[in-house]
Amino acid sequence: MQLRAKKRSRSAALVYATLPYLIIVAVLVAWELLVRLNGIQPIFLPAPSSILRYLVAMLLDGSLIYNLSITFMRILGGFVVAAVSGILVGVAMGMSPLTARIVDPWIAALYPLPKISLIPLLIIWLGTGESYKIVISAVTAFFPVAISTFAAIRQVDPGLIKTAKDLGATPHQRQIKVVIPASLPGIFSGLHLGMGVTIIMVVAAEMIGGSSDSGMGYVLVHAGQVMETEKVFAALIALAVFGTVITNLQKWLDRLVAPWSDTKQ
Amino acid sequence: MEIVVENLVQAFGDAPNTILALDRVTHRFPAERVSCILGPSGCGKSTMIQIIGGIEPWTSGNVRIADGIGGANRPLGSQSVMVWQSLNLFPWRTVVDNVAFGLEMRGVARKERHERARAIIASVGLRGFEQHRPMQLSGGMRQRVALARALIMERPIMLMDEPFAALDAQTKIVMQEELIRIYERSKKTILFVTHAIDEAILLGDEIVVMTARPGRIKDVIPVDLPRPRTQEMVNTPEFGRLYDRALHLIREEVLRAMRDQERAAS
Repeated sequence: MQLRAKKRSRSAALVYATLPYLIIVAVLVAWELLVRLNGIQPIFLPAPSSILRYLVAMLLDGSLIYNLSITFMRILGGFVVAAVSGILVGVAMGMSPLTARIVDPWIAALYPLPKISLIPLLIIWLGTGESYKIVISAVTAFFPVAISTFAAIRQVDPGLIKTAKDLGATPHQRQIKVVIPASLPGIFSGLHLGMGVTIIMVVAAEMIGGSSDSGMGYVLVHAGQVMETEKVFAALIALAVFGTVITNLQKWLDRLVAPWSDTKQ
Repeated sequence: MEIVVENLVQAFGDAPNTILALDRVTHRFPAERVSCILGPSGCGKSTMIQIIGGIEPWTSGNVRIADGIGGANRPLGSQSVMVWQSLNLFPWRTVVDNVAFGLEMRGVARKERHERARAIIASVGLRGFEQHRPMQLSGGMRQRVALARALIMERPIMLMDEPFAALDAQTKIVMQEELIRIYERSKKTILFVTHAIDEAILLGDEIVVMTARPGRIKDVIPVDLPRPRTQEMVNTPEFGRLYDRALHLIREEVLRAMRDQERAAS
């Protein structure tokens, strides 16, 4: 009886582990069959097999790697600017009530503004070159980073600060040795949000900046314009994989820098 | 170190909505003794020891720490260290760096402070866990880390705010014995806040019973059970007499607090 129960639980575990992948395969097969049996034009919906052919071709001629790395450099540029400025402003606000009072109305006014609406203005000021793409993504990512950092610092457990005081920490030591490390997990979650919007804004900027001739956003728009739907799909898949890799890389970095925050949840 | 509290008043909030937490508390906590502060929840006992520890400001009255009776006053906080109910361990620091925190703030070099921290960690029975983080430890072990972090400061006064309240019954007994051992070896002045009567009798040389809010001192019960104290003393008639006396006082206060709450609710 017990043995059978164990057996069943083992097969249940197997289903639990493999079912998600089986379903992905099933969907792809259904998609392939749907396109082939109904003779759907690849312009509307290409079959997975032909998307894969395009993907391989783009990999082999180097255009995928080239455009992905250009997009990646732009993302990195925007993200680093946003991360550094966002953390600095957030920390300054968290540690000085006066700074918070001065900066808060600006953030309150600018945060709800859809940053994408700044694109025309930025193109007027900066043209459609690299600086425009980095500025638009940095401006967008700045807000979640600054706001999360500010919130993280304000939400530090006052008990920890009192404890540090009791153990002889000066106000300066309390900030450096307690407030900053205690708020790291919150700062990281701001960086995650910031990375997400940076990816969105860089690709969007690549799509909109007319003279842009590189990057995944350009590949998407260009392929769309000449109705190379397979290429559009291939670029979307590449972007999805790329986004997943970046997010997981970030999670891995989090665990490396702040291993304690992981076990808390 | 004797702790002198005279007409201590602590009020929260602005007039006319002030809440009186402590009302003219006056007591001399004797040097090198364990004073257990017993009272119903919300009687201001935690507030009082935080004031004595120099952590919270107070409204009026006089709190001082003297080198023996009539000796020179010392600044609040400089002679005492707190052990908190919520432990307040730094989750990002390893056990050894938690314990060495106070020395680090004082500028003691890394090698020396780690050496001293290791010695204290071993003395509270945590050898081998130096590099663990608090999250990886059980409740009782975390409690030992908190105790070690306070002991390393070598301050003559220990202020303990319901430190064992969150522990399970067995771990609590072990930690109480640990504290008895530490006290009997080091002869610190200990103020121990609790709402457990048996704990107060077992640990204390005196029990300061406080009233429900606003906190006043209702009575002081001297405990003259011999030292070294052991858990077996719980079964002696003397322990029972002390228990009944404290229970009687506390019951009055708890009932009064409940009546006050009912009145406020209606």
